[in-house]
Amino acid sequence: MATPALGSILLGTTNPHRLRDWYAAALAPGDGGEAFTEVTPTMFAGTFGDTSVLIDGRSDVADRNPDPGRVILNFHVDDARATADHLNALGVTWLVELEERAGGLFGTLVDPDGNYVQIIELKE
Amino acid sequence: MVADAPVPETPAGVRRRARIRAITLESRAPDRAAAWYRQALGLADADPLLTAGGVELRFTLATADAPNTVEPARIILNFHVDDIRTAEARLVALEAVWVRELERTRWGIIGTVLDLDGNFVQIVEPAPDSPPCLQPKEEHP
Repeated sequence: MATPALGSILLGTTNPHRLRDWYAAALAPGDGGEAFTEVTPTMFAGTFGDTSVLIDGRSDVADRNPDPGRVILNFHVDDARATADHLNALGVTWLVELEERAGGLFGTLVDPDGNYVQIIELKE
Repeated sequence: MVADAPVPETPAGVRRRARIRAITLESRAPDRAAAWYRQALGLADADPLLTAGGVELRFTLATADAPNTVEPARIILNFHVDDIRTAEARLVALEAVWVRELERTRWGIIGTVLDLDGNFVQIVEPAPDSPPCLQPKEEHP
């Protein structure tokens, strides 16, 4: 039997369209709005590397994550500074602005639901 | 005649889509949580990294008295397996708390358990006709 794979990460939200648009614009800007496929009218799926983000409209979560930081999605990018410029142009909210650490460049932003999303460019 | 609004050009450095390489889970007991996931997923103890299909699971320390996750439906990790009964047996052996026992859905067979910090963890054997984005990705060693 093959080792289990993290097939997807489901983000429960009261506003799936807003969250889809944000992830598409922030993290797949080169895809011209085609980053996500509509699975149902309130569920969208987009592949980001070896796994997918499933954005699921549901009623058992609040409008805003009351407990951010419990689970953080780490996105690797080719050029973190260019990504940060792009994100700033979108007007995103940073929890920790892009900074150089031992292993590379790291920054943490907050998605419209309050989830924490880390941007990483590792030193090769 | 009105010209279409110009489409802003995507900066060169961000043309390639970002890739999720890791998920960080905050835990009251990171070592114990990592061991739980390793057993739940059937990963070898010898592997230095805890990875599932090319995505690393990392664990950081929460305060020892942190309560369970407040909204477990907020972020759910879906682990795809090719034999759901084997995956179920591992979770039963771990005495995992089941939120939803195995159930056949339009997406495949799905079961949900709680991890040690109260997060929902799902095992999924995808249906052959589920949307391509929900199918297993390329297999990783």
